[in-house]
Amino acid sequence: MSIPGIPVLEDKYPVTMDMWPIQAKEFNRIYPFYENLKEGRFTTTKCAECGKVSYPPRVICPACYSEELTWVELPRQGRVLTFTEEMKGVPLGFDAPLIHAWIDLGKLSPVKRFLSRIINCPAGKLREGDEVKLVVFDVPAHPLEVKRDTVMAERVFFAFEPAEK
Amino acid sequence: MSRRNACIIAGGMSKWGVREASLIDMAQEAGKACLDDCTGLKPRDIDGLLFASSFAGRCSFQVNTAPVIAERLGLQPTSICARIDVLCAGGSAAILLAKALVESGMADIVMAAGGEKLYTPQKWEVFYSELASIDHDWDAPNGLGLPPPFFALTAKEHMKRYGSTKEQLAAVSVANYNYGISNPKAQMHKALTMEEALGAPLVVMPLTLYDCCPITDGAAAVIIAGEERAKDLTDRPLVYLRGGAQAALHSVSANWPGEHLADWAHLRVAAKKAYATAKLTPDDIDVAQTHDCFSISEVIELEELGFCKKGEGGAFAAAGEIALNGKVPVNTDGGLLSCGHPFGATGLRQGMEIMRQLQGRAVNQVEDAAFALQHNLSGLNVEHTIVVYGRESVK
Repeated sequence: MSIPGIPVLEDKYPVTMDMWPIQAKEFNRIYPFYENLKEGRFTTTKCAECGKVSYPPRVICPACYSEELTWVELPRQGRVLTFTEEMKGVPLGFDAPLIHAWIDLGKLSPVKRFLSRIINCPAGKLREGDEVKLVVFDVPAHPLEVKRDTVMAERVFFAFEPAEK
Repeated sequence: MSRRNACIIAGGMSKWGVREASLIDMAQEAGKACLDDCTGLKPRDIDGLLFASSFAGRCSFQVNTAPVIAERLGLQPTSICARIDVLCAGGSAAILLAKALVESGMADIVMAAGGEKLYTPQKWEVFYSELASIDHDWDAPNGLGLPPPFFALTAKEHMKRYGSTKEQLAAVSVANYNYGISNPKAQMHKALTMEEALGAPLVVMPLTLYDCCPITDGAAAVIIAGEERAKDLTDRPLVYLRGGAQAALHSVSANWPGEHLADWAHLRVAAKKAYATAKLTPDDIDVAQTHDCFSISEVIELEELGFCKKGEGGAFAAAGEIALNGKVPVNTDGGLLSCGHPFGATGLRQGMEIMRQLQGRAVNQVEDAAFALQHNLSGLNVEHTIVVYGRESVK
């Protein structure tokens, strides 16, 4: 049974957007971040004029407003400062244990600390001070209109996992 | 020409909780409660409406919400009619904006209202919708849109650095729940013992059930008017909006402004400006409504707002300094923990409670309260918003 006037819904409740970024170049000017991520590289933008490295990547330099930006590498390994393991009430699309960590990427990194997710790690295993490394994985594709066609846009995202298993 | 003074003269709220009512229904309930609080005021006297709601678009499929609510309430604003989206601080942002509009002379009488319908139409969707509430492309994909894990990390950090205890966190929950017993519109509306708080089910270590505010449907509204109009409209003591500030120093967790997660540098920035604009210091504040979305939030706010030293917020609460006879009674209507937290409405509930305290008609009345402060944090702790009130205007 179709819904009169809204055939695209095909009887489904429309969850129109999700938590994963729309990464395709038709939609997003920082798509190289995701292209690099697909190659296992963790990158961000650096201003060619004033030298400021910004994270997350962007299309103008927030310090001098230059549009001349280049892509630079970020560390792919960091250290866990604090973490939590969420067992219940995990948001739709995630599984328990959902582990969040405040990660230190080191003194030399232009990005000092940030929150990320620790995967491939059972509950109760992680310790403060543990080394963790970048891991890239596929997330659900979405339909994307390209001219007159609708194609499936592949997507990836990243988290961290224990460096030593 | 000297700036005119803005006053808060009336306030009301709908019943808060898991409601069998739409956003537009609850906005009407709050608007009526607000107008009932000031019998001299007629809907057509109100020339501005600010409606704070962040999830109206996502959960009610209703953007440009303000004219819909104006129409239902019989308002015909001629100065301003707009929706405000600052998530958990939408209500206090609406109060600050109403203050500026009234002080500048652009508006005379503004209704600052707000509300959220979060449980709709399938209750589980709220856990999904909340992923929209933070820096979407960078923090939401880590499942960080629901606040408990972030505040659990914050609590762990505070306990590690300052020796705060689970009992100290529970003292905040017990105090706020017990203030909320006398508030029939509160979502939880129940007494809480220390034993119950400490024995509650785990949410995210170290936070348990009563450390966390619930998810709430609800609405609230207040009236901000110029001093002269306020004198015409009410016989109650005037309550002046003395000052305020809203600071946003970052958006994504990678650019956190503090040294660690229990160091809220952006709250200190907002507090410094708010106290300066109000020409007051923390010692002047007789009663405060702070953003107790989690027990640990209130603990850190007590410190960063200057009511106690850094690291001592837990001990301050546990020693009874937030009780009616303490140094600074806090969240005297139950706070977010007991009342619940329909994001855009929360700051308006706080403003309403402060108005009642300074008019001398609060249920949990602080004796001779003359100066008061409200505070909201919003998003994944990205903005801090403060409004400072007094029974005297800033001279």
